[in-house]
Amino acid sequence: MRITDRRFALFMMAPAAAFLAAFVLWPLIRFVSNGFYEISPIAGGPREFVGLDNFVAAFESAAFQGASLRTVVYTIVVVVLEFTIGLGVALIFASLGARSAVFRTVFMYPLMIAPVVAGLLWRFLLIDNFGIVNELLRQAGILRSASQIGWLSDPNIALFSVALPDIWLTTSFITLVLFAGLQNVPGDIIEAAKLDGARYPTLLFRVIIPLLRPVIAVALIVRGIDAARAFDIILIQTNGGPQESTTTLSLLIYRTMTRYGDPGLASAMGTIYLVVMLVVATVAIFAIWRPGSDR
Amino acid sequence: MNGIETNRASSRALLWITLAVVLVIYGFPFIYLLLTSFKTPLDAIAVPASVLPAQWTLENYVTALTKDGVAPALINSVVTAVLSTVFSLVLAVPAAYAITRYRTPSGRVFVLAALVTRMVPTIAVGAPLVETMRTLGLSDTSLGLAIAHTTISLPLSIWLMSSFFESVPNELEEAAKVDGASRLGALWLVVLPVVSGGLAVTAIFAFLASWNEFLFSLLLTSVRAQTTPIVIANFQTQFGLDWGAMTALAAVYSIPVILLTLLLQRHIVAGLTLGAVKG
Repeated sequence: MRITDRRFALFMMAPAAAFLAAFVLWPLIRFVSNGFYEISPIAGGPREFVGLDNFVAAFESAAFQGASLRTVVYTIVVVVLEFTIGLGVALIFASLGARSAVFRTVFMYPLMIAPVVAGLLWRFLLIDNFGIVNELLRQAGILRSASQIGWLSDPNIALFSVALPDIWLTTSFITLVLFAGLQNVPGDIIEAAKLDGARYPTLLFRVIIPLLRPVIAVALIVRGIDAARAFDIILIQTNGGPQESTTTLSLLIYRTMTRYGDPGLASAMGTIYLVVMLVVATVAIFAIWRPGSDR
Repeated sequence: MNGIETNRASSRALLWITLAVVLVIYGFPFIYLLLTSFKTPLDAIAVPASVLPAQWTLENYVTALTKDGVAPALINSVVTAVLSTVFSLVLAVPAAYAITRYRTPSGRVFVLAALVTRMVPTIAVGAPLVETMRTLGLSDTSLGLAIAHTTISLPLSIWLMSSFFESVPNELEEAAKVDGASRLGALWLVVLPVVSGGLAVTAIFAFLASWNEFLFSLLLTSVRAQTTPIVIANFQTQFGLDWGAMTALAAVYSIPVILLTLLLQRHIVAGLTLGAVKG
């Protein structure tokens, strides 16, 4: 008997589906359901069903509210800066044409570096006293002493400083994606706009960016999701401090789970976080990308 | 010629200068890391900081590589990343092929599920996986960690491989089938050789995802299977902020993958941009 194409397709997808079900879906179901229990942190300890108590506790906790706000700020800072720099560099590469190829490769290298390494490296660059950034700023006459700016020790600016390595690490991704998108912008449309007397800003905002919209959407959504999940890069720089000023949701959930030993509350927080991510990503996909519409 | 490309000499010069400034800022952190790794441990944290080493030495490399646990961690990183790459390819290739060639509803659900997986915070899967691995007897093993890393790289691999299969014309397999090849035979003998470049790209991304991963390694390993990112992170606490040795180990860990990228950059750019540009 000959197997139908449909059966064959299922047979081919089954191993990957089984793997994802066993090692992603099932853990995730357990994680979400843990949110409804009061759980003792000791392995095999007692669990007690408490309904929505953990969710109420999460919403009411100042730590959760603060971490949510910081996650939003961090994500916006990272995405906005990466997009601005990424688009700028992509436009430069496109304007210079084929001769920029070598520089495109050089620009790509941070993408391969581990976030832990990037975080530690930037912590080393930005450290108050023997950090090279402050020292170079002092030599340039911008700072009076090398400990004037406490990049990672001043609670008012630490959240922005911890974003720097993330921006350094992945702006290239946006550049590469936008650069590839620019290759597909038809040259005659640009020429026509130039002939009509369009100046560069008009050309950029009225012609190039609208044409790139699907590509921009994918780049922003992918980076937005990843920035909102940032964990190791922040943990390694500040461990959430000073004064909790860099404790984003992923750090708070991790800490609630491991250090404060409250897996139930941590699971409730994680579930809220996941639901919000899904809603925001879905809205973003339909708002920016508008699949199916022609313009 | 692309319409965006500019020909005016003055604007080209300005663009080159801007680009040079951006690249210097972009390249500086890693170059400084390399320079610091050749300083003496005291020079590395000297005040005021200097860009160039006062005295070039390999002391930090010797310290870092002879530390307890560093050599096993490097081996663990390689073993885990290779295992995870193999798992990803073995699972993703047939799935992606089925998704692109037989457009069934289950295939569409699959692609959507792979997208959603990317939004899941690592801790939400990692914490329950600790228990799963204990049940399976895979706590603190490279195999267990490789399975966990595959949860990250598999959705990405399916996505990438789907794009590569998409670019292979259907006629190739039809011809093979007319010649008497089975569906699996057509995939194995005709389609896979055509997408070998795509397989390489997917393998590199799966390898990198595992090589650079931190949180799963932190949760699922303690001594035996610990990977290098954890050891690098521990330099700050265990050895009292030995920045010199940390930069040396970070250099040893990063340089092979950076070189790999330079060698295969054309393919990697294709992989990075393929899915996104197709929309």
